[in-house]
Amino acid sequence: MVVSEHPVIDPGYSSNGGRRRAVLVTGRGTDIAFNLDANAPVEQLAQELTDQLMGQSFLYSRGGISVNTGSRTLTEDEESEIRRVFKEKSGLRISRFVSGDGESFTDGPLDNEERAPIAPPLPLSRADDVPVAQLSTADLARLLSGMSPQSERSRTGGMVVRATVRSGESVHHFGDLVILGDVNPGSEVSADGDIVVMGSVKGLCHAGAAGDEKAVIIALDIASPCLRIGSAEAMASAVSPRSRTGKRGKDSSAGEPAIAYVRKSSIYVSPFAGRFARYTKGVPYEG
Amino acid sequence: MKGRTIVITSGKGGVGKTTATANLGSALAMRGHRVVVIDTDIGLRNLDVIMGLENRIVYDLVNVVEGKCRLRQAMIQDKHKLELYLIPAAQTREKDSVSPEQLKAVCAELEEEYDYILIDCPAGIEQGFKNAVAAAGEAVIVTTPEVSAIRDADRVIGLLEASGLHRPKLVINRISAEMVKRGDMMGQGDVEALLAVEVIGLVPADERTVSAANRGIPVVHDDRSSAGGAFTRIAARIDGEEVPLQEIEPRPGMFNRLRDMVGMKGRAYSHA
Repeated sequence: MVVSEHPVIDPGYSSNGGRRRAVLVTGRGTDIAFNLDANAPVEQLAQELTDQLMGQSFLYSRGGISVNTGSRTLTEDEESEIRRVFKEKSGLRISRFVSGDGESFTDGPLDNEERAPIAPPLPLSRADDVPVAQLSTADLARLLSGMSPQSERSRTGGMVVRATVRSGESVHHFGDLVILGDVNPGSEVSADGDIVVMGSVKGLCHAGAAGDEKAVIIALDIASPCLRIGSAEAMASAVSPRSRTGKRGKDSSAGEPAIAYVRKSSIYVSPFAGRFARYTKGVPYEG
Repeated sequence: MKGRTIVITSGKGGVGKTTATANLGSALAMRGHRVVVIDTDIGLRNLDVIMGLENRIVYDLVNVVEGKCRLRQAMIQDKHKLELYLIPAAQTREKDSVSPEQLKAVCAELEEEYDYILIDCPAGIEQGFKNAVAAAGEAVIVTTPEVSAIRDADRVIGLLEASGLHRPKLVINRISAEMVKRGDMMGQGDVEALLAVEVIGLVPADERTVSAANRGIPVVHDDRSSAGGAFTRIAARIDGEEVPLQEIEPRPGMFNRLRDMVGMKGRAYSHA
């Protein structure tokens, strides 16, 4: 297996006790590879793949990946079995199968037509040419969404998440992002465009993640411990209890639809009056 | 009719999973159902102690999956002679002694003969959690009205949804009405707003829960316990009966009334 040069992605919920894993997910640059142990029976591979995909179905809902079978050359039946598992248990698209001895991953693009823009620099991210020791779940999500055939190079493409984003989950999209639920404490959402939350934001939220400071965050209630827009960042003050418990404070603006935007490199918030309204009376975000 | 397998989980430890399992199991059995409770907290077993069956363990869950005994041999009947059986966890082994598939197989076998199989899940989200969740068709999440417990419950709800267990039900345990009233504790509404799942039970903090556990008799057997009553009603709701949620009221004791009159602040502790 050619896993040594690929950092292992272990999003916490994929460990398999003491047993040796037959499926190893690795990532490098913008390439996500599912490495299948050359000696494991195909039934075990299918089972472990199913567990991995179902266990992280939130992550594996879309995107392109490659499948590396190491020194094994799969029969047609075996290959179609693996393809079937990916098709039924995830929204992933297999960009290519790498099999046969000696073949390894190249740093080249998966397939030129569908190659998405390179992941933007972010505290969560890394420079593309440096192999990272470990990719976080957030990075994995970012890579997968970046390789999505639906994702757009420009900000015109929106994505709608019809769920509450819960603690430990992360969502990234290369366009505008709409969340039809809350963003709960301990979760991360980021988008290269605007983020609109039809609920309250209590997790980390990063709009304009590729550096666009004209991006905004709009939500029915903003009570996040940390907002970022482009490279601007605002932390809730330590005494603010709202981002912890979600309890309504005495602050009268709490619970009103709000917009967060960048002015003079700082993040300001104001009651929402329209995406393209002129905001002059906002206050610096303090949680 | 096939039985229902329900996992009782929380993420955080010490919020009352095991107590809830023992009490819901007992309450469902008292309603005339045939019930099995399985302790999957291998290495840190507790459910046998709460049910007062620790001296009766011969075989355990790991013996069953390793084929060292028949399933029936590891099932210990409740001491109140209810149709309630415990499959204890092994104390000397580790979580990876059981695989999700093995637990699935055990539960599938039990579902043929029993009405309810309740799985007491270990704290955490590692192998033990994965085992417990894999076998279940439904989930009950236990939390206390504390920020840390709710954060973990939120994480667990996400993981449950990712493994195909949708619409988990929430039990809020150890609510202190006095503290909620003073604004020192989150109430049902606050918890519900944050977790956005259906609440099927509010269990008041009750000293009797602790003393019952210490005696090895689940508190549902205690008619005078408010927590016992709450667990009985949760069992009825699980069973499909429509029982409205009861708001938890502060106990109108003489001391409390006096305290309210004087405006004195109570000490910040919960009763359980």
